[in-house]
Amino acid sequence: MSTAFSDHKKGILFISGVLGLMMIYSSVNAAEDVQALKNEIEILRQEMAELRKLVKQQVQQVRATNKQDMAKLRKDVAQTTDVHSEWKGANSAVHLAGYGTVGYTDQESSDGSFNTLSFNPIFHYQYKDLFMLEAELEIETEGDGGTAVELEYASIDWLINDYVALVAGKFLSPLGQFRQNIHPGWVNKLASAPPGFGHDGAAPLSELGVQLRGGYMFENHMRTNYAFYVGNGPELESEDGEVHGITAEAFRRDADGNPVWGGRVGFLPVANFEIGVSGATGKARVTTDEALGLIASDPARSYSAFGVDMVYTRKALNLRYEYIRQRVANKSASVIAPMGGTWRAWYAQAAYRFPSTKWEAVARYTDYNSPHAGQEQEQVAAGVNYWFAGNAVAKVTYESNSGLSGTTTDRDRFLVQLSYGF
Amino acid sequence: MKIPALVSKNIIAVLTIFLSLGLHSGIAMSDDSHEEADVSRGARAWANNCTRCHNLREPVEFRDDLWKPIVTHMRIRAGLTGKETRDIIVFLQASNSIRPISSVKPASSPGQGSGKTAIKENSGKEIYQQTCIACHGADGKGVLPGAPNLTDKSGPFSKSDSELLRNIVQGYQGPTSPMAMPPKGGNPELTREDMKRVLAFMRKEFGN
Repeated sequence: MSTAFSDHKKGILFISGVLGLMMIYSSVNAAEDVQALKNEIEILRQEMAELRKLVKQQVQQVRATNKQDMAKLRKDVAQTTDVHSEWKGANSAVHLAGYGTVGYTDQESSDGSFNTLSFNPIFHYQYKDLFMLEAELEIETEGDGGTAVELEYASIDWLINDYVALVAGKFLSPLGQFRQNIHPGWVNKLASAPPGFGHDGAAPLSELGVQLRGGYMFENHMRTNYAFYVGNGPELESEDGEVHGITAEAFRRDADGNPVWGGRVGFLPVANFEIGVSGATGKARVTTDEALGLIASDPARSYSAFGVDMVYTRKALNLRYEYIRQRVANKSASVIAPMGGTWRAWYAQAAYRFPSTKWEAVARYTDYNSPHAGQEQEQVAAGVNYWFAGNAVAKVTYESNSGLSGTTTDRDRFLVQLSYGF
Repeated sequence: MKIPALVSKNIIAVLTIFLSLGLHSGIAMSDDSHEEADVSRGARAWANNCTRCHNLREPVEFRDDLWKPIVTHMRIRAGLTGKETRDIIVFLQASNSIRPISSVKPASSPGQGSGKTAIKENSGKEIYQQTCIACHGADGKGVLPGAPNLTDKSGPFSKSDSELLRNIVQGYQGPTSPMAMPPKGGNPELTREDMKRVLAFMRKEFGN
């Protein structure tokens, strides 16, 4: 019994020893783990502090950048606003306007050709509400491939007050409507000018001198406009002992020594109807003869012009009428061309823009009378227009012409034109 | 030598007469130059005068600074008064820029209050005054040729709101009108809610 008990006791002691050793070993390991963890936490703390520091620096940097950017942006906006104000409030203003036209014409008894190419730049220079300089050039391709450049008009306009402007220089004739307002390609609803309203016809084209222009509105909304001018006046061309034509374009000389006075008064009883009366009087003389060339001396003779024009618009309908006449008196003292003559022309035109479309139909009748049968012409013209925009149009026009048999005035024409005003 | 002297005399006489006329007119009729330009008057003058000779040029075609010399040129050509010229210029300058609705000033009429509440309550009216009035006029009867009479019983407000809203959104040209109303009345900044509000205002103000 005692031996068995002793063995049992030894076993217990052995086991206890082993367990003790295991516990000692375990406690030693746990202490090491805790220390390692403590070390790791310390490292993480340091990293976190560094990160915080870095983020703080970056935030400060971003804030500083944003502040700088905002300051720069504000400065830019202020400068842009200043620039905007500068051009808007500038005393002088410059603008380039004008129009261009290209066209094809097929005339009876001749081959068709692309015979129209013109570019008309218009320059506007304005100083305050006081002065404006305006000028138009007409640059055209000629039949031989050359280029012709002409000064259509150039004037300095003094805006005296709300009702009066003084225009000095070369200006489009204020007699009637066609020459001064309707002739540009993008305004004229047909591809050609009415006979008699072109060069050397019944209507004067331009003048060199001064004019007063303006308008006035009455209390009842009726209004009037006016243009009174004085200029060098026209000169006469002769052929075969007769006055062949009146060249009523601005001359830089007054060959007869007598200025021509004239003007137009327009009256609008209602906003969509205008009637105008034009007239001019003065003297003119023969300066060019087809056979003799320049004529240095020929007595001055009376010159006069008279015109009436009307325009009526109602919704898509536009009606227009114009009559113009130029007359030079006989001059028995003239050895070049003692007989005078009267050139007169009138046209009536109707245009209708089809609602909700870009299409427009136009019809015009013109009668041009001259002392010379070769110049006279009666024309019925009809056309269809397609408006790409209010200032860009494609026109197809057919003219039925009656004139002296065998001459170009008697030949019908078919015209296609593209015109753009800018 | 005799002829140039005669010409000189004539020219001097002419200039004297013209300048006398001009200066006299200036003294007698210069009061209007101090009157403030008006957009509605300008819209009417623009439509009435320009269409006699040519199609209307769209206001958005040119910048503010360019419209001034253009219209001054037309003043000379068409015999406009200075007042009409200024009215047309402010109309074109107001019509060629698209201002966001947020820039609309709050109503300041007595009794209408002010600030945000006033803007909200009167936005339809404000939008109308900002975008529509130039063509349709303060009384809704139209100031331009082709602009319909909104007060007419058989006019636009005989149509349903949905049709009118569609016309405002897409733009519309009446069967006899020479010009079209542009989409959103020419103000692309308008939202659908803006257009509903202005439509409600117009129906209340002009509809029967």
